[in-house]
Amino acid sequence: MTDTALSVEGLTVHFGGLVAVSDVDFVVREGEIASLIGPNGAGKTTAFNVITGFLQASAGSVRYRGASLDGLRPNDVADLGVVRTFQKTSLFSGLSVIDNMLIGLHRRGRGRVWEILLALPRIKAEERDLRMQAAAILEQVGLSHRGGELASDLPYGEQRLLEVAIALAARPSLLLLDEPASGMNPSETQDFMNRVSAIRDQGTTIFLVEHDMRVVMGISDRVIVLNQGIILAEGTPEEIRRHPEVIRAYLGGAAADA
Amino acid sequence: MRHAVTAAWVVFLFSIPLWMTDLYILHILISAGIFTIAAISLNLLLGYTGQLSLGHVAFFGIGAYTSALVSLGFDLELTDSYTFVFAPWPVWIAFIAGIAAAGLFGWLIGKIAFKVRGAYFVIVTISFAEVVRLISLNWVDLTEGPMALNNIPPFGVAIPGLWEQTFYQKLPNYYLILVVAIVCYIVVRRLVRSRAGRAMIGLRENEALASSVGVDVTRYLVLATVISAAMAGAAGGLYTHYIRIVDPDIFLFIYTVTMVIMVVTGGKGTTAGPVVGGLLFGILPEVLREFASPEVQWVIYGVFMIAVVFFLPQGIVPAVTSWWKARFAAPEGGLGTPEGAR
Repeated sequence: MTDTALSVEGLTVHFGGLVAVSDVDFVVREGEIASLIGPNGAGKTTAFNVITGFLQASAGSVRYRGASLDGLRPNDVADLGVVRTFQKTSLFSGLSVIDNMLIGLHRRGRGRVWEILLALPRIKAEERDLRMQAAAILEQVGLSHRGGELASDLPYGEQRLLEVAIALAARPSLLLLDEPASGMNPSETQDFMNRVSAIRDQGTTIFLVEHDMRVVMGISDRVIVLNQGIILAEGTPEEIRRHPEVIRAYLGGAAADA
Repeated sequence: MRHAVTAAWVVFLFSIPLWMTDLYILHILISAGIFTIAAISLNLLLGYTGQLSLGHVAFFGIGAYTSALVSLGFDLELTDSYTFVFAPWPVWIAFIAGIAAAGLFGWLIGKIAFKVRGAYFVIVTISFAEVVRLISLNWVDLTEGPMALNNIPPFGVAIPGLWEQTFYQKLPNYYLILVVAIVCYIVVRRLVRSRAGRAMIGLRENEALASSVGVDVTRYLVLATVISAAMAGAAGGLYTHYIRIVDPDIFLFIYTVTMVIMVVTGGKGTTAGPVVGGLLFGILPEVLREFASPEVQWVIYGVFMIAVVFFLPQGIVPAVTSWWKARFAAPEGGLGTPEGAR
């Protein structure tokens, strides 16, 4: 449990003159659900973008299971087992749910182009296998009944679940979720929390950015608080809830009721 | 059902020369077939990766010129004292060389364009086509420039010493082009229904998401460009050995536009779309020529095109498919069961 999975050291990101993230260190441990919280503009999504190769850090380094992620492209990061979802709902909206899943399963396919062009039997077998895997993951997130529908036709809560399903299809060992519960109603949120816990129980480490404190406090093993580009506090949900600086900077008086 | 329709189509296309003896009509079908192959190739890029190549005719022309030059042979005066002499090769090898050359330039464009998307990809491809056109026009030593390459040998088959046939007539050319078109159609169809094709569609639909789940988008964009360019090169090779003369006008922008029109009106991102669009817009101008003056032809052509784009924005094939589904797949007008419909 205590092995370090992801380690971020001295991470600094400038956008022109603006310092989005300043000399930040934190780790995510194997098998935990860690949350990164902080007010808007604290640098949470920026940190996600650097970790997953969408953004170049100005300074600092990111390592996952001993391998450096610095300078890798997003697909290389995914090959190392680090897969993310996006803050703004991000799907292959014009395609069916099943086709969304099949693109997500890209890394699990092995077929090479010449084999595809020759339509070798093993390609057909692989297609069948991928479709079964897609169905299994949809089952896991509770979207089995939606397979044939257009992704853009799903209700909002299910679109967010589909995002997680697409990410899971890439077989992550570390799953980064960027505000996955935003816009969900309370029952959807509860259901979503259960599913995230279940994903963790199957051996995927989870790193979460989330604004909804019920989610953060409800499922996290550890919470990291980022404020104005620096780490303000780190600890269990209980410790964070009582941390005086966190209360002042972020949670406010309402934290006592949460 | 689908298989039966496809088989019927193929049988119909193979049977045409048996009952259609008018050589002029056969010629129209051959030209339409060459354009259809080019449209199939463009569709792989435009319809599946979502990148508009407005210089697609460059690959067509490179295939045509390479195939012509390899089959004719050429000599280049490189220095005062040294002339490089290239002896003629058999037409089939020239044809393969044309495909390879077009594919190679496709790879180059894919690599150069690896970071540019949308409008910038369009600009890169247009510029490329223009550069190639200027080279073909001005490198007279190699291409004969505006004097054109003449007397290009046609395709032929032979059993050495026993029998040989050279494709001077329309009939063998028709069958050759039909076979190449079917091969191209199958290549695209297999590709887009595979993991590789889904990676291309992922690039079209949501590049950030595709790369986040491990799709190497650059690799698949280059792959699509190479295969697309090679097929366009094949179309160029077929053209060159059928028409048997090739000049720089082959690179005219209007040909690219025609290919785009074929793909868009037929239905981009569908395997049948470019075939329908290619045949329609390959045959329509010739049919109009029969009974209308040139000005009226173009007006009808334009109005028809605008009508298709206006009323069937997704293209003819998707419109017909959804009409067919609505009419026959769900008789109660309901959604039907997705599992059953698949």
